[in-house]
Amino acid sequence: MTHPSDPQAPLTAASSAIPGTAAGSETAKKGKGLSAGSVGLIGAIVIGISCIAPAYTLTAALGPTVSEVGVQVPAIILVGFIPMLLVAFGYRELNRRMPDSGTSFTWATRAFGPWVGWMAGWGLIAATILVLSNLAGIAVDFLFLLISQIVGNPDIAEIAMNPFVNVVTCLLFMLGATWISYRDMQTTQKLQYWLVGFQVLVLVLFSVAALVEVANGNAFDATAIEWSWFNPFAIDSFSAFAAGLSLSIFIFWGWDVTLTMNEETKGSSKTPGQAATITVVTIVILYLLIAVSLIAFAGVGDGEYGLGNPDIQDNVFFHLAGPILGPLAVLVSLAVLTSSASSLQSTFVSPARTLLAMGHYGALPEKFAKVSPRFFTPGYATIVSAIVASVFYTVMRFLSENVLWDTITALGMMICFYYGITAFACVWYFRAQWFRSVRNVFFTLLFPLIGGVILGVLFFTTLIDSMDPDYGSGSSVGGLGLVFVLGMVVLLGGVVVMLWQWHKRPAFFRGETLTAAETESPE
Amino acid sequence: MSAAPRIVAGYTADDSGADALALAGRLARASGALLEVVMVLPSEARNASVPTDAGYERFLKEQSRAWLTTASRALGDDVERALHIRYAESFAEGLIQAAHEFGARLIVVGAARGGLFGRSRIGSVADELLHSSDVPVALAPAGSREVPVDLGVTRVTTMIGTRPGADALLEASVRLARQTETPLRLLSLASIDLPAGLDEHLAALTGSAHADEVLDEARRALPDGIAASAATATGSSIEDAVRALDWEPGEMVLVGSSRLAAPRHLFLGSTAAKMLRELPVPMIVVPRTTA
Repeated sequence: MTHPSDPQAPLTAASSAIPGTAAGSETAKKGKGLSAGSVGLIGAIVIGISCIAPAYTLTAALGPTVSEVGVQVPAIILVGFIPMLLVAFGYRELNRRMPDSGTSFTWATRAFGPWVGWMAGWGLIAATILVLSNLAGIAVDFLFLLISQIVGNPDIAEIAMNPFVNVVTCLLFMLGATWISYRDMQTTQKLQYWLVGFQVLVLVLFSVAALVEVANGNAFDATAIEWSWFNPFAIDSFSAFAAGLSLSIFIFWGWDVTLTMNEETKGSSKTPGQAATITVVTIVILYLLIAVSLIAFAGVGDGEYGLGNPDIQDNVFFHLAGPILGPLAVLVSLAVLTSSASSLQSTFVSPARTLLAMGHYGALPEKFAKVSPRFFTPGYATIVSAIVASVFYTVMRFLSENVLWDTITALGMMICFYYGITAFACVWYFRAQWFRSVRNVFFTLLFPLIGGVILGVLFFTTLIDSMDPDYGSGSSVGGLGLVFVLGMVVLLGGVVVMLWQWHKRPAFFRGETLTAAETESPE
Repeated sequence: MSAAPRIVAGYTADDSGADALALAGRLARASGALLEVVMVLPSEARNASVPTDAGYERFLKEQSRAWLTTASRALGDDVERALHIRYAESFAEGLIQAAHEFGARLIVVGAARGGLFGRSRIGSVADELLHSSDVPVALAPAGSREVPVDLGVTRVTTMIGTRPGADALLEASVRLARQTETPLRLLSLASIDLPAGLDEHLAALTGSAHADEVLDEARRALPDGIAASAATATGSSIEDAVRALDWEPGEMVLVGSSRLAAPRHLFLGSTAAKMLRELPVPMIVVPRTTA
């Protein structure tokens, strides 16, 4: 080891080995403490399930999906996974070639230049901020439900309907999540395993109980299970199909991290693939089980507990847990609450890291690139995300009675937008390598291209359909559907901010800070 | 060169880290030690809820490298240093591992966090380190970054008690005094460190007799060729005693870790913790038996 007295002393060899940078720095065995390390198989599955947060996702998305496709929810769940998987393959290729905290923003900039890249980053941030506010909103509902179940007073659950109480509680949740994210406080692995295990078990219990009630003839609107539920072609219109699909993309959103997070695993190169597969199989089985059993129990009509009833659609577990589980309904409240709470933290990370990358490359003020010297988190970006999500939730809560529902639909649209761009970025970025191998034909051309096209079609279909004031929950502004207005405000707002940044920080838009790759050179 | 002692400076890119680095630099310069500046990044292995991201890892590493380079410039040219980035589940754990890796005899960290109340508060990092390190730990009080590096070390003061750990403590003190070529002062706290409730007059009497005894014993234990003065701290409390003594700006104070500590590990006793609040100079806490 050398000890040069040059003030710009380079890092020692062991320290400078950053995976994926300088060639040859990839030392065969990195001792403990020399690399970031990684989580094992079980850890990756647990993080994957916890990111997807099935309990939260289903209670938020099941109602809106039923309203679009009726009993064909199981079919749409199965089909919805396809574009997700195709795009995730492209995501993985890009992540391998250019690991960067800016993900979609950086990749789209490298492929299509600063303007498209900027909007892709904006789409990602908008989607995660929408889901943050939705998560916190669901958590508020279940917090009051949980309290009311514990003290045995149903009136308490109604308090959540008061917009002022609701907003204040939601802001407190947001504050807590910001604090935890800013300080990078981690639950212990053990606790996290228990939380995820509990969530899965409660969901299984919930569906089994619903099926038992159906068998005992106690169902609210017993509906015979049919194979046609699994047939996507039984959905009557393409609009309904598209809307359902964009919702089911939301329910798998977050799964892609299991595919990419473990690229540099300790021993096995199979771990990421295994983790992603086990995670998705678990999730799909859970989703199908819940969807089938709840439809069998409650039907899709608009009766009191019917899944077609707009009054319960934005949070179905909230309304159905009691009739199905009786006193055990408290478990569902706990599962959804812990599910959304632990997902809040992992969700916070993603807009914060993208904002950080945008600040770093000069696409946003430099402040966004600030890292907390104590906690090594993107501190400024985290706080900005929290404030925007809080303001967004507050405005929406007073603007729409079905805020949760509408945010979920708008969210699906945003995911299609930035995932679609990411998929095309993959195709274009690797254009010189498409036919270098059979593998490349599939993973850099066909898969992301098909995935991107599906998402693009979904995006535009949802956008056009949502102009109808009756779309989604039926909230409207000035004769246009709220979901459309929301989507346009978010996207056009992005364009405005982008033009402003172009004026303030032209270097990025001239491609001086993050260059568009002409073409990927062969290795 | 391999015989040169090594000092690990636990650096963070804030005031506390600057305090640590300045003190470590001053110590290294005065004792001819090699400085290992270490930044500890959170290890992903501890992660249970947030997906890992290679891109962000890389960004953090580049950022930390930039921080280290900037900090290194502030050290001046006289100090031999190497810069390191290590991963661990906690800052304290990473520093202890680094100390083992480099065979360092000392870890330097900033004592205060936030620094709202000046030197009076001990930060969580320093606290964790004091509870787990088997290597002596130097706590840089807030404001150490203002002390010029060429002030060096002008005196080494050892807080002598009768408790186990005194041997290791004495040894570490002698070593530091030799390396920095400074006089050693033996300071007995025995007259204060008595159980509460004793008759005050009696306590003072037995206390000072006891203190002299302890100092004599310590002096006998010193190797030849070490100049040592002796003093006895008096006062109704530790705080009083510390305030009544004279402290040179370039002084280093060494204390032994508490009886409560596991063998070869640190634990700051209540006496040392009280002292830390009053001391205007850096304090080094020495485990009961050092390697």
